[in-house]
Amino acid sequence: MNVHRVQQERKQLFEAVYNGIIPRRVPIMANLPIEFCIQYAGLPLAETQWTLDGIEDALDKACKIVGSDYYPFGFMRFPAPLQILGSRGFVMGSNGFIQHPEVTGMEVDEYDDFIKNPYDCILEKILPRLYPELDADPVTRSLIFAKAFKAHYDYQEFFMKIEAKMVQKYGFYTAPKGSLAAVTVPFDFLADFLRGFKGISMDVRRCPQKILEACEAVLPLQIKKGMPKRPSKYGQTFIPLHMGPYLRTSDFEKLYWPTFSKMVQIFSDAGQPCRLFCEHDWMRYLDYLQELPENTRLHFEYGDPKLVKEKLGKKHIISGFYPLTYLKTATKQQCIDKAKELIDVLAPGGKYVFAFDKSPVSLDSVDINNYIAVLEYIVQNTEYASAGELAPAVDKTVDKPAVTKEIPIFKSKYCRTWEEYKKGRPAIIAGLEHVIASKMQNYEDMLFDMISRLM
Amino acid sequence: MENLKAVTQAMGNLDEAKLMNIINDFVSKNPAKGEVLEVIKACQDGMAIVGKLYEEDEYFVSDLVFSGELMTEAINILKPFIGDTSMVKVGSIVLGTVHGDMHDIGKNIFKSMVEAAGFKVYDLGIDQPASAFVEKVKEVKPDIVGLSGVLTLALESMKDTVAEIKEAGLRGNVKIIIGGNPVTKEACERIGADAFTTSAAEGVRICQKWIKV
Repeated sequence: MNVHRVQQERKQLFEAVYNGIIPRRVPIMANLPIEFCIQYAGLPLAETQWTLDGIEDALDKACKIVGSDYYPFGFMRFPAPLQILGSRGFVMGSNGFIQHPEVTGMEVDEYDDFIKNPYDCILEKILPRLYPELDADPVTRSLIFAKAFKAHYDYQEFFMKIEAKMVQKYGFYTAPKGSLAAVTVPFDFLADFLRGFKGISMDVRRCPQKILEACEAVLPLQIKKGMPKRPSKYGQTFIPLHMGPYLRTSDFEKLYWPTFSKMVQIFSDAGQPCRLFCEHDWMRYLDYLQELPENTRLHFEYGDPKLVKEKLGKKHIISGFYPLTYLKTATKQQCIDKAKELIDVLAPGGKYVFAFDKSPVSLDSVDINNYIAVLEYIVQNTEYASAGELAPAVDKTVDKPAVTKEIPIFKSKYCRTWEEYKKGRPAIIAGLEHVIASKMQNYEDMLFDMISRLM
Repeated sequence: MENLKAVTQAMGNLDEAKLMNIINDFVSKNPAKGEVLEVIKACQDGMAIVGKLYEEDEYFVSDLVFSGELMTEAINILKPFIGDTSMVKVGSIVLGTVHGDMHDIGKNIFKSMVEAAGFKVYDLGIDQPASAFVEKVKEVKPDIVGLSGVLTLALESMKDTVAEIKEAGLRGNVKIIIGGNPVTKEACERIGADAFTTSAAEGVRICQKWIKV
């Protein structure tokens, strides 16, 4: 295998799709969670997440079956920093999988405080509740955080090194450096860690106006989290959408949609496309999704692929729908037939990337042979006769692009720019300022990124 | 009480202010036990409407969560007038999220709806080993066992749990229902459960049918 050539071909597949051109064949984005790979290699799940012993070989082994064009390994939750901080929002279950149980980080009567300055409120009140080891005197808290910071970046560095090696060895496509980010929309952020599913369901009925104000208030923070250092049309900001399908359409429209759509538009205006994971069933909201900026990447879990292709297929890039559970329960031929059925609906006209509805979280959730067979089928049977041509696009006269509102400015005393830091510190050696500024800003950003990963 | 229909309607409409007004007004008159039981029945009828509207896509999961809270609120106000013992239970369920899975939202929705339908629920919590189900079944001899899970890996845990209940010689004594995002007909057959559902409202109906409410 000429890895360089494979990589170039894969790059062309994705870049064609992202540029609105018909690719040579359907590209594949098949994600394999680290936990899956650990099990596949026969390593003990809980222990290996702590020690990281054998992980590189485990990922290497998984690379041999994955058949994905895109780099297949997502991030995992790092157990050591979570333990150091006493995490309540991410907890390792009895079988070694780190999960997100229902938590409440903010009480209903604290909305006003949150709205005044979300990030300050998070650091002062909410984080110490979600991570009770931080609920300590200032000295202990600083020490705990220092340990967690070091542990977090030890893990991060470890996985980045492996990524570089695997990309080099297997020729996966990856987005340009500095063009990937992940974030949640404001409503989901409130629901997931602040109010909990139950709390937000109460608030939707009892105090919707507070939700609305909180979503607006937290938007600048979410934009800062989701805007990568170097936005690129080949990069992406991943947004897992959560609560929308569990709300009435009227509540979605009033509370969820305004800051969601604004956020995606702001990223798009900066040249950064979003990839939305539409958890559960989004068929009620196709008209809303249609309004998002062109070439938004939409990954569906459930629904009607035909309807989605008709309504959104010319404007956006579609993925998903393949039911992963099928790989466990159906025969090999049935699995391939299912792939064919979806390809026939979704591939015509391009703007399609093959993906399963979700990732196989554990080894026993799929039959590996079926998994391999489906991906091989895609590689071998999805060539386009019209490769290189422009994909049918939206009729611009019908499509009304949304107007970006002024980008709200993120402000917090706990996250300072170099200019803010410099004030009151005149003793900086003049000739070294650019060097010092870059270093200082880098550590500030690292801390912000780590905190962002905590909720 | 004359306003039973209004109670049912307010609950069905998820109109918290109206429901609490009626109930607070009602208890301020120091009602007799029989009357209170009628009001509870009216609330339960309202919950049945909520379930129906959920199945008709008028309400969604968030509304079910809210309805559970409303029901709890109402019962908490009414309970002191009847005492725990006089609530006649139509059947009993041992319920829990299976081992390896820490999700409880779906389980809690089902719990509040099935309690509203008059069942006694023994909630084991999340990430529960098969042995916890077996022990509880031995202890309380329920009519039904409810296994909940969200992750696909929960299906294997459900299979283990049903197998252990069988091994303990208890399978013939209980009906088993599995619920949650990943359950399907095929999974249900493989696991060896009696029924499956992804809808709490449908789950309640299945349980009622088993008990012949």
